[in-house]
Amino acid sequence: MRHADGLHVGSVGLGLLVALCVLGPAVLPAPPAADPARSALLPPGAAVTEITLSDGRVLVSPDVTVATEAIVVRGPYRDTELSPADVVSIREGRFLLGSDRMGRDIASRLMAGGRFSLAIAGLAVIIALLVGGSVGVAAATGGPLTDSVLMRLVDALMAFPLLFLLILVATLFRPGPAALALILGMTSWMGLARLVRGQVLALRGRSFILAAQAAGASKTFVARRHFLPNLAGPLSQDTALRLGDLVLAEAALSYLGIGISPGLPTWGGMVAQGHRVMVEGWWLATFPGLAIAALVISLALIGDGVQERLSRGAVS
Amino acid sequence: MVRTVVRRLLLLIPMVWLVATLAFVVVAAAPGTYADTVDHPGLSAEQRAELEARYGLDQPVHRQYLRWLGSLATGDLGVSFVTKEPVLRLLARTLPPTILLGGAALLLDFVVGILLAVAAARRPHGWFDRVSSFIGLGLAGLPSFWLAGLAILVFALVLGWFPASHMRSVAASGLSGPARLADLLHHLILPACCLGLVGAAGTARYLRATLLDVHGERYILAARARGLSDRRILWIHTLRPALLPVITLLGLSLPFLVSGSVVIETVFAWPGVGLTLLSAAHARDIPVVMAVTVLGAVAVLLGSLVADVLAAVVDPRTREESL
Amino acid sequence: MKKLVSVSVFLVLAAACGSEEPTYTTPASGGPPDRGGTVVVGIVSDVQSWNPYLVEDLESEHVLSLLYPSLAVEQTDYHRHPPSFAPSLATSWTWSEDHRVLTLELNPDARWSDGAPITSRDVVFTWRAQTSPEVGWLYGYVKDFIETVEAVDDHTVRATFSHVYPYQLMDLNDGPIIPAHAWSEIPFDAWGDTDWKAHALSGGPFSLSDHTPQQEIVLTRNPSYFRAPLPHLGRVVFRISPSADGLLTQLLAGEIDFLQSVPPDRLDRVASRDDLEMVIYDNRSYTHICWKTDSGPMADPAVRNALTTAIDRQKIIDVVYAGFGRIAVGPVLSPFWAFNRELRPLPFDPGAARAALEAAGWTDSDGDGFVDRNGQTLSIEILAPAENELRQDIALLVEGDLEQVGVRVEPRFVEWGTLMAILDAGEADAVVNMWEEPTQIDLEGLWHSPAPGEPTFNFGRYANPEVDELLREVAELTNFAEQKPLLDRIQALIVADQPYTFLVENTRITVHSALIDGAEINAATPFFNIDEWTVDDAAGR
Repeated sequence: MRHADGLHVGSVGLGLLVALCVLGPAVLPAPPAADPARSALLPPGAAVTEITLSDGRVLVSPDVTVATEAIVVRGPYRDTELSPADVVSIREGRFLLGSDRMGRDIASRLMAGGRFSLAIAGLAVIIALLVGGSVGVAAATGGPLTDSVLMRLVDALMAFPLLFLLILVATLFRPGPAALALILGMTSWMGLARLVRGQVLALRGRSFILAAQAAGASKTFVARRHFLPNLAGPLSQDTALRLGDLVLAEAALSYLGIGISPGLPTWGGMVAQGHRVMVEGWWLATFPGLAIAALVISLALIGDGVQERLSRGAVS
Repeated sequence: MVRTVVRRLLLLIPMVWLVATLAFVVVAAAPGTYADTVDHPGLSAEQRAELEARYGLDQPVHRQYLRWLGSLATGDLGVSFVTKEPVLRLLARTLPPTILLGGAALLLDFVVGILLAVAAARRPHGWFDRVSSFIGLGLAGLPSFWLAGLAILVFALVLGWFPASHMRSVAASGLSGPARLADLLHHLILPACCLGLVGAAGTARYLRATLLDVHGERYILAARARGLSDRRILWIHTLRPALLPVITLLGLSLPFLVSGSVVIETVFAWPGVGLTLLSAAHARDIPVVMAVTVLGAVAVLLGSLVADVLAAVVDPRTREESL
Repeated sequence: MKKLVSVSVFLVLAAACGSEEPTYTTPASGGPPDRGGTVVVGIVSDVQSWNPYLVEDLESEHVLSLLYPSLAVEQTDYHRHPPSFAPSLATSWTWSEDHRVLTLELNPDARWSDGAPITSRDVVFTWRAQTSPEVGWLYGYVKDFIETVEAVDDHTVRATFSHVYPYQLMDLNDGPIIPAHAWSEIPFDAWGDTDWKAHALSGGPFSLSDHTPQQEIVLTRNPSYFRAPLPHLGRVVFRISPSADGLLTQLLAGEIDFLQSVPPDRLDRVASRDDLEMVIYDNRSYTHICWKTDSGPMADPAVRNALTTAIDRQKIIDVVYAGFGRIAVGPVLSPFWAFNRELRPLPFDPGAARAALEAAGWTDSDGDGFVDRNGQTLSIEILAPAENELRQDIALLVEGDLEQVGVRVEPRFVEWGTLMAILDAGEADAVVNMWEEPTQIDLEGLWHSPAPGEPTFNFGRYANPEVDELLREVAELTNFAEQKPLLDRIQALIVADQPYTFLVENTRITVHSALIDGAEINAATPFFNIDEWTVDDAAGR
C-alpha cells in the first residue's frame, strides 16, 4: 500500500462517516416510526407498512392486510382490526439495518449515535489541544523554572490512574455529553503537552528560527511562520490517533452503562443492548461495532499517513 | 542513576496522596451513600441513623477523610462496606486475576505483535505485509467489548470450545494440581485473546513502522553493503535498536496490568480489580474505591519508573534524558 | 418441542421425587445417602456474612436459610387470610386465652452440625441478638411488639407479646435460629469484626463446606438435619457472577443449573430448550408511576386519573415484560387476602382521558399539540434509574401514550444516587418505581401523609386525612377479619385518588435444568423445599 493511499483512504472513510451521520437523515428515505408492540426486533431490510390514524396513533407492522372493509394489522401479541375510515395515511417503508427492542430504526440511531460520538470525541480533542498546547508552549518558552514546574505537574497528573478516575466520575455523576467531553479532554491533554513542548524545544534551536530571530522578526511572526507549520504535522498525527482512542473510550463507557444518559443513542450503548440479544438480534450489536471500527480505522489510517509523509519529508 | 530512582520512589508518596485525595473528593461529592442502598421502607429514623453511624457516614466529610488517611498510613485499608471483608484481603483476592489476565494479554500482545511486525518488515509492501497490515488495522479498530461478545457467542455458545465466563469451573477446588492449572488456562484463553489480539495489532503496526525506519538508517546500509545476510541484519542490527520503543511501550503498558480491562472483566465475569472498582463505585463502597485508586496510582508511577530504568539500561543514550 | 412450562402460583406441586421410599444409611453406620447429585445455582452477589444478623441483602438471606433453621415455615396460602405456618424447628405451638402468650415445643431430636442439641436456649439467644442495638439487625424493628422470649425447659419456649395483632407468629418467626453454645461467648459489639465463616454451624438441610469469596460457595448435605428424610441432593453450589446477563449465558451454556430470575424478554432463548424448565409465578411486587401530589399539575386527582386512563398498561406488559404480568389495581396485590375484590384497574381510554383533562381545565389553546392551562403547558418529567432498562422502556412508552392526549413528557434517566436525592427532596414530578410487598400488610409506610422534614418513602407526598385516620384504626384491630373492611376502604380511596398509576403486578420467571425435579418455587424463597429436590445427575459433578 503506498503511503499516501493510507491517508487518502482514511480521509475518505472519515469523510463518508461524518457525511453519513450528519447528512444521512436528510438524504436517506424517512425511516418507519417506532411501534414497540409490533415492529420490534425486525431484521435488516425488513419491509413494513406504516399506518397513521386520525386519532394520532401510528401502527407499524411487517404483516398488514389491506382490504376495502377492514385493515388487519398483525403483531406478536395481538392483531388489530382497523376501519379504513379512521386511516389518514398508509406508507410502505423499510428498516435498512433492522429495528431494536423498542421498534426504533437502527440506521437512524446509528447516525444519531455517530453525531454524539463524533461531537463528544471532537470536543474532547479540542479541549485537549487547547489545554495541552498552551501548557506545552508555556513550558517550552517560559524559562527553566516554568518548564520544571509545569512538567512536574504533567507528570503528577499522568500518575493518576486515568481509567479508574474516568470510571469513578462517570459512574458517580453520569455527566451529560458536554461534561463527558470535558472530562475526556481533561484526562488526555498531558501527552499532548509533552509532545508540543518537545517539538517547540527541538525547533527553537533550528537554524532558520535563529536566523529569523536574528533578522529581528517578532515572536508572533516566528510562531506563525515557523513553529505552527512544523507543529502541524506531529500534532495532526497525534490528534487523529487520540480522536480514535477517545471514540473507543466513550464507547467503552457507554457499553459499561456509565456513559451519557442511556436514553440517548450512542454506539457503545447500542452494542451493550445488542449483546443481550446476540442470537435473536445480531444486527443490534453488529452495526454499531462496525461503525466504531470504521471510524477508528479511518482515523488510524490518517494518523499513519501523516506520519509517513512527515518522515518522508524529514529524510528529503 | 540509583539516586534518581530513589528520588522518584520518594516522590511516589506525595503523588499517591494527591491521587487518593482527588478520589476521595470525587466519591464524597457524589450523591447517595452506601446506607442509601440498604435503606428500605420500614426502617425507622433511628435505625437509619444507626446504619449511617455503622459506616462512619454520619461524620462530617473532613473527619471521614482524615480517618481514612490515618488508616492508610498504618496500612489498614479499612473494611468493605458491601462484602464486609478487610480491603487488603479483597485486593489480595482480586489483584492476581487481573495481573494474570493482563499479563497473558500483554504476552500475546507483544509476542504476536513482534512476530507479525518482523515478518512484515522483512519484505516491506510484499503480500504478507499488505495482508497483515490490513488485518491488523481492522483488529486495532475493533472495540474489545464487541469482539468479546462475538467471541463468547461463537466459541462458547455455538462451538462450545471454551467456557463463557469466570476463572474456574464449578467446584474446581476439588481438582488436582495439573488439572486445576489446565482448567484455569482453559478459562483464560478467550478473555486474554480478546484483550491481547487487539493490542497485538496496534503493537505490530507501531513496531513495523519503527523497524522500517531503522532499516533505512545509515549503518544498516553499510552492513548491507558489506554483504551481511538479511536475516542477520534484521535480527541483530535492526531489532535491537528497535527494542527501545518496544520497551517504552511495555513500560507504559505495565499499569495496564492493574487497571486491566474493566470491560473485559465485566463481559467475562473475571473476578479482577476493574470489576471491583465498578461495583464499588456504584455501591458507594468508599474504602474499596479509595484502595483501588491508590493501587492504580502506585502501579502507574512504578510502571513509568520501570520503563525509564529499562530504557536507560538498554540504550545509554537515553539515560540522561529520561532520568 | 417445547418443554412443558410449569406454573406454580397457588398450587402446591406434588413432590415428584421418585416413587419408592429412598433408602440410605444413617451417619452412624457411615456414608451418605446413595442418591446425590449437585445443583449449581447462579447468584449475583456473594454472601455478606455467615452470621444472618449481619447481612443486609436478600440473596445472603436465601443462602443462609439453608444453614440456619426457623421455628416455622411460612406457607403461600395468603389469598384468603394471612399466611399460615408449617412446623419446622417448632413442632407445635399453643396460644394463651388472651392470645398474648405463645408457647412453642421444639423438636427434641434437632441437632447442630457439631452434634450439640438445638434447644430453647438457642431461641432465647437468637431473640437477644435480634433485638440488640450493638448487633443492629436491619429488621430488628419487627420484634418491637415482643416483650420477652424465655425458656420454659430445654425444648419449650414462651413468647409474650405487648398486644394482640394478626402477625404475632410471623414477627416471632422472622429471623433464623443461631447456635447459642457456639456464639454466645462472642460479645455483641465484637460481632462486626468476627470472621463468621469459622463459626458457621448448620441446623438446616445443608452445611458449609467451602467458600471462595466472590466466586463460589459449596454446601453439602447435613446428615444431622432434624427432618426426615434427609435432602436428596448431595451438594448445592452457588456460583457468583456479578452480571445478570452473564448468568443467563452460563445457564444456557450449562455451567449453572438454576437461575432464580430471568428477564422476560430473554425467555425465547430459554423456551426453545428441551433441557431447561421455566417456572412462572407472582413476584409479589408491582411497578408503578409515583406522581407528585402535593403541588403542581398533578395535585388534582382528576388529572392523575386522566393520566392513568391514557396509559396503555397492557402494551407495557406486552412490550416490556414479554406478556408476563397483569395490570395492577391498587396498593395491595390482587393475590393477597386483603385485596379489595370490588376494585378494577382504570380502563385504557385515550378519548376519555382527553375529555377528563379538558374538564379539569387543560386544553390545547395555542395549537402546539400539547394541552395547557393559564398559559402553562402540561409538561411532566418522568424519572427512571439509569441502571434499569425495563423502567426506562416504561418511561418511553408512557411518553408515547401521554403525547397522544396532549401531555408532554420528558423522560430523564438518572443515576441511582442522584435519583434518591431528588426523591428524598420530594422534587420529582414522576418516577417509575417498583415495590415488593411483604405478606404482612402494612400500608402506613407508603400511604400515610409524611411528617414535614422527615425522610419518607411516600415520594409523592400523598396526604389524605381519611386514609390517615383509617390507617390508625387498622393498627389497633387485633384480627385480620376486622381489619378487612377498613383495608378495603383505604384501597378504594387510594384507587380513586390515583397518587400512583398502578402499572403491572410483576411476574418472576425462574429457570432451571430439567434434570432438577420436585422443586416448588415461590416468591418467598427459591429454596422453599430444597430438601425435596432431586437431580438426575448422570453427568456426575
